[in-house]
Amino acid sequence: MEPKDMPPTDFTAVDPAYFKVRLLTWLANTALYLIIALVPLGLALFGVQVPRWLVVLPPLLVLGTALWALALIRRRVRALGYSERAEDLVVRSGVLFRKRVVIPYGRLQYVEMSSGPLERRYGLCRLTVNTAAGAATAVIPGIPAREGQQLRERLVAAGEEKMIGL
Amino acid sequence: MSGPWQRVHPASPFVHGWLAIVGLIYVYYTNTDELSWSERFEGPRLGWTAAIGSAALLVILVFYALSWYFTRYRLSETHVYVNSGMLFRSQKQARIERVQAIDIAQPLVARLLGLAELRFDVADGSDSVMRLAFLKKADAHRLRGVILDRAHAARHGSAPPAPGPQTGTADHPAPAADTGQLIVSRVPAGRLLGSLLLRIPTIVGLLFALFFAVMVLLGNAGALAGVIPALLGFGGWLYKELNNSWNFTASNTDTGLRISRGLADTRQQSIPAGRVQAVKISAPALWRPLGWYRIEVNALGLGEGAESETLVMPVGDFDSVCQVMWILLPDLGVNEQRAVLHTALSTGAHHGFTTSPASARLISPGAWRHQGYLHTDTVLITRYGWLARVASFIPHQRIQGVTWHQGPLERRRGLAGVRVHSAGGSIMGYAHQIDSRQALELFEAQTHRAAER
Repeated sequence: MEPKDMPPTDFTAVDPAYFKVRLLTWLANTALYLIIALVPLGLALFGVQVPRWLVVLPPLLVLGTALWALALIRRRVRALGYSERAEDLVVRSGVLFRKRVVIPYGRLQYVEMSSGPLERRYGLCRLTVNTAAGAATAVIPGIPAREGQQLRERLVAAGEEKMIGL
Repeated sequence: MSGPWQRVHPASPFVHGWLAIVGLIYVYYTNTDELSWSERFEGPRLGWTAAIGSAALLVILVFYALSWYFTRYRLSETHVYVNSGMLFRSQKQARIERVQAIDIAQPLVARLLGLAELRFDVADGSDSVMRLAFLKKADAHRLRGVILDRAHAARHGSAPPAPGPQTGTADHPAPAADTGQLIVSRVPAGRLLGSLLLRIPTIVGLLFALFFAVMVLLGNAGALAGVIPALLGFGGWLYKELNNSWNFTASNTDTGLRISRGLADTRQQSIPAGRVQAVKISAPALWRPLGWYRIEVNALGLGEGAESETLVMPVGDFDSVCQVMWILLPDLGVNEQRAVLHTALSTGAHHGFTTSPASARLISPGAWRHQGYLHTDTVLITRYGWLARVASFIPHQRIQGVTWHQGPLERRRGLAGVRVHSAGGSIMGYAHQIDSRQALELFEAQTHRAAER
């Protein structure tokens, strides 16, 4: 999903297994919302007087948005990527709202590695690259744990080499 | 000329710990709530009360005295030493030549007693600010002058300049670096109140008040309950703004900008030019016809530790803006600094400003003519906003990261946005809805510039 007018930069895509993580997250979220949306139906089944639109509308809305999100998951995961350039790290994300973050290695303060239970199950992790500015933070989700470890070491080394301070 | 150890003002522990005495009185009253005054002052009860009360007072006073006894400071040729604490001793020192600025603060109680606290801003990488509290106000100013003179001398390897070239003339023999050239003189109270009155929170607050008044007049007295949280919120905002801007003056010293302000507690702060990460000049919607501006900066290490902007000019006209900018960012990388500043604060594409193309008209009908950017050799200038306008300035060396954004509406029209982030606050450079090709060029150019130094 490279925008046509972007300069050719070699982005490393995230692990395809991250798609499964997102899918399972989607499943859990959808199930939760659906249960809440089905409460009026349950009440109606137990004989409580409930307006018909309240029974029909919420589940339809939830299903509609969930299916739309489902259609976007694959593209969203494909849109995620990072690129280590000579002087900086670029992270791209987003399908409808596209975003790219560039962090010069010299401004890097610390790199955080984290993984939730689902990510761990697929051997994935998430890197958060922090600078002194709160808004300039890059997040790379869904990279294999080993690769994440190596990337983190490379980033920290590059940061120390090009350290500028404030 | 190594000075002797000196003690701080004897009232200092009281300024630190006056709450303890207030607390004692409070505890007494809550425990004797059911007694009448005559019952409190009769016979054996009075004796007990006096005994316990004076014992507690004695304990507090002993602690105060010990705390005072163990707080000492000394000024030597090269260092400032501050010792404090009796059980947990703390000994702090600062090399005078590394002292960048000394702020003088006066919390409310200290101000009532004519005392002041010195806060040392030392460039040695330590997080904590060294404090010396409290001295008589005049002593604090004198000590500050002496230390800054020595720091200046140590850095420039010479004797303290008697009356420094930038800091005054012969008929103004104040301590060098203490009183600089005044550039933002005290904002008159009327103008300050007027400027606050024309801010959106005030107007919203007034509308709410009107709304509730009408409700009450219509016989709905329950609406009064809504007034209290609204008043609390608005009052808090107003007090904060007033306290930050009251008696505001800014002067130019040889280390940077020096500001002094405060309503209940007064503060003096130095903003060394090298600490400024980004500058924002804003014009709230209703100030624009009056030609008033407000300047805030992202700055590091001002001892606040907070991730928030520092107010540098509460309200002022274009001339004041130019003077303040001249100190904060002396080099904008352009020849006609004043003219470029004027363009940055108004609309137009002079001096090389790039603005949003006409295709942005549909998404931002009010702002598209105004929003734009200019990158010089040293600074990125961006301007945005429709009713309220903002111009932000970020030196390339201060850039921490750059982001590029494109939403679906922007993509259809060939637009994109670039944001540039700096440390020390939330001010950012924001080139909004510019041509996507130019946005990419800007994005790449800024990343290269950020990495260069």
